[in-house]
Amino acid sequence: MRMLLKAAIVACLMGCALPARAQDSWQPVIDAARKEGKLVIYDMALGAPYFIAVLKSFEAKYGIPVESLDLRASELAERIRTEQSAGRYLGDVEMITSTMIEEQRQNGDFIEKLPDIPNARNLRPPFRATEYSVPVFVQPMGILINTRLVKDADIPVSWNDLTDPKWKGKILSDDMRPLGSGNTMFAILEHQMGADFNPKLAEQKPVFSRDMRNDARRVARGEFAIYVPQIFAFTSDLKGLPVKVVVPKEGAPYAQMELAVLKNAPHPNAARLFIQHFLSPESQLIYANAWMPPVVAGVAERANPDAQPFAEAKLIGPAKLAERSSMMALAKKLYP
Amino acid sequence: MALSVDDRVGEVGKAPVAAGLQVRLRRLQTGPTSRATALVVLVAVLGFLSVYPLSMLLYGSLHSTPPGMAGTFNLDGYQQVLTPESLLTLLNTIGISFAKTIPSVVLAVMLAWILARTDTPFRGTLEVLVTLPFFIPPILTAMAWGMLGNPQVGLLNQLYQWITGSTDSPINVYSYGGVVWHMMQYSVPFLFLLIVDAFRAMDPSLEEAARMCGASRWRTFRTVTLQLMLPALTSGAILSFIRGIENFESPLFFGTPAGIRVITTEIYDSINQRSPPQYQYATAASFVIMALLFLIVLLQWRLLRGRSFVTVSGKGYSPGVIKLGSWRWATFSFCVLFFVVTVVLPLGQLLIGSFFKFFGFYEWDMLTLDHYRNVFGSSEFWRGFRNTMLLGLIGATLTMVLGGAVAYISVRTKWRGRSLIDAMAWLPWMMPGIVLGVGFLWGFALLPHAIPIYGTIWALLLAYISLGTPLSVRVMSSAYAQLSYDLEECSRVHGASWLQTMWRIIIALAWPSFAVGWVLVFFGIMRELSASVLLYSVGSEVLSVVLLKLWANGNAEQVSVIGLMMMALVILFRWVQLRLLRPRVGAL
Repeated sequence: MRMLLKAAIVACLMGCALPARAQDSWQPVIDAARKEGKLVIYDMALGAPYFIAVLKSFEAKYGIPVESLDLRASELAERIRTEQSAGRYLGDVEMITSTMIEEQRQNGDFIEKLPDIPNARNLRPPFRATEYSVPVFVQPMGILINTRLVKDADIPVSWNDLTDPKWKGKILSDDMRPLGSGNTMFAILEHQMGADFNPKLAEQKPVFSRDMRNDARRVARGEFAIYVPQIFAFTSDLKGLPVKVVVPKEGAPYAQMELAVLKNAPHPNAARLFIQHFLSPESQLIYANAWMPPVVAGVAERANPDAQPFAEAKLIGPAKLAERSSMMALAKKLYP
Repeated sequence: MALSVDDRVGEVGKAPVAAGLQVRLRRLQTGPTSRATALVVLVAVLGFLSVYPLSMLLYGSLHSTPPGMAGTFNLDGYQQVLTPESLLTLLNTIGISFAKTIPSVVLAVMLAWILARTDTPFRGTLEVLVTLPFFIPPILTAMAWGMLGNPQVGLLNQLYQWITGSTDSPINVYSYGGVVWHMMQYSVPFLFLLIVDAFRAMDPSLEEAARMCGASRWRTFRTVTLQLMLPALTSGAILSFIRGIENFESPLFFGTPAGIRVITTEIYDSINQRSPPQYQYATAASFVIMALLFLIVLLQWRLLRGRSFVTVSGKGYSPGVIKLGSWRWATFSFCVLFFVVTVVLPLGQLLIGSFFKFFGFYEWDMLTLDHYRNVFGSSEFWRGFRNTMLLGLIGATLTMVLGGAVAYISVRTKWRGRSLIDAMAWLPWMMPGIVLGVGFLWGFALLPHAIPIYGTIWALLLAYISLGTPLSVRVMSSAYAQLSYDLEECSRVHGASWLQTMWRIIIALAWPSFAVGWVLVFFGIMRELSASVLLYSVGSEVLSVVLLKLWANGNAEQVSVIGLMMMALVILFRWVQLRLLRPRVGAL
């Protein structure tokens, strides 16, 4: 945590990546944001240290205090919906998955059109801003192995390796039936690996659990040899345990987190400034060092050596909102 | 000839009841306005705290979209609940809850009898110790039991294999047995706390009479002691059964891996794991559960109606202690065994785990005090701690006062409308917490903006009072049901005012139960997450939200540190409570 903060402050001192002319035209936004006095962000980071490091760097750089309301995804969406239905506009900006934003758009006008964000022009493919939101980080998932139980020669290099009969009964998995990381992986691999993959994986009788943080430790303790899907960032703080994340050759399924300005935001300029800040190389570097591939160009190569393989990992996905119910139904069929 | 319990109970109860009733009726006749005012105020308070959020949920269950969104009224939610698949899940839930309530009641009665009515050594200390498991956050015991009893590398299985030389793993917490066992660790001490004072406050002359008439010790226990404990026992058992149906952590941690489905995990999925959240199904399922639970409560009312359970009367007595002889060491060992299995094993895991870099990995180079440093050095923790203490102290006190008032009117008066307020106070208990939290969010957010509750710490306070009131009413009702009316009458005859009588007789004698209820409500507030996470705002974070964040960020070790601190608090509270109460109870 302390290291992250230091990194954030050093990164701040490095200055903003904007050229001088752009900075001139951007200065009124900074002034207006400062005049607004604060920023209220609704997010689903639940106090993640890298997220807090970005908030601190924003506060240090602009002197604008940030209030963060941390909630789980569905509670976040419902809180925003209820507040706005009651005419209470308290939040400025939300950070939530791309599919949730798509859904919010279908259900009503909870978010404003995205204002011009200069740093959004620096997004690297396949990431791009939409009319209403902009990707700010991604959460990719790989395969976690216990290095004492999985011999070097047996380390899976492809998602298909999970269907090898030798792993039958030895795989722990996030439940693939409800919405969540398990189902996200299920849906993305259904497309990527073909229709045979999930039925074959089901034959391995993976054991389902719903507690991702504890599950990685269960694998480390040797209860199971393999855990899927392992969010890269959740492994960065398990250094010293006999576990390792493998990124299969086909790539890592991922969920995409986006920022959007909430309707009637009381501090719209602060919201705009914050989005700009989150897409700055210094903020992106904080995320890259926590093993999450950056969404802007020119950052992955600057990540710490241990974070490099993850910062540059091949990504597959994200899952599509339109397919969500059919994928959940399919998972339920394969895992009755 | 054995004594008929009903006869004996009636003898003690009826005469004072009739006389006391007349006195009270006379008093109440003189103040119809104040009676009406009291009722109106209570109905309004309970209406706002329980009926209002529930009406929001009822709307949600009948409307295709949540409040504030365009949609249509229909019964789709209820139709989804009534599919064979959902009904099977519901039956499964009821079965699990039965399976845990029955052994829990048996264990709790045994423990209460041993610690309140026998000369078992170190009863005072044991009483504090056996109640501890109730206060450990469930995620922590789930984590500890996941390590103790998992079939692959669980410590208990390894111990079994080491002793027997077998390769079998007889213990698997990821099973029906594991779910029931994890629930029992909470329900036994919970039930114990609810019934132990009833055991302690009982007039031993009833038992003595039975013994003198030739009944064996077992028969006396069965036909007198247990029967007199009926209000406290059935209340406790029903609360525990309801809690079992609404239990979420145990099936989530130990049921999901074994394919065990219960209604709360279905409801949780429908809100938190579907997109968009299926509020109509979740609320409809909750109302179906509520209807079922209401039937059970009605059954209890029918069962107890017309019977008197007065055991604390004007006659002087000191609670009898049964001399067990050398058997007292057997009862002592029984209590110690319970404590070891439910507290020492999981808590030992937490304590050890809190000193290592990673929970469950015990190597010398991983020893650290960092988790303690991080927790005590975190401003967020202290803010959460301050807010929780404030909300806990104020919330538990107000909840017990409200519960005491409701219980007094419902048990000790014949006011018209008393059943209504009793039922209103019950309502929040019958709704699963995850759904009720949403009801509060909808309710408070949709209030007129001139009522500044939403987004403040008061929203949390009101939700906590609502959530705690059913428990406080039950605890206080059981206490009042045992107080004879002759005490009140005597006080009034000797010139005491109504207030003095309340203070010196009713409150003084019900005080032990008030204190037990207070501790239960206080720690209920400390643990409450479902409503807290939806209602908190920046600055009003509470400890459970801080714990959720730590857990979500993989800081199981820091969660353990906070869990251990909560344990220390419980021991302190219970110690003070027993220290303060013992002399009073002894003086009765």
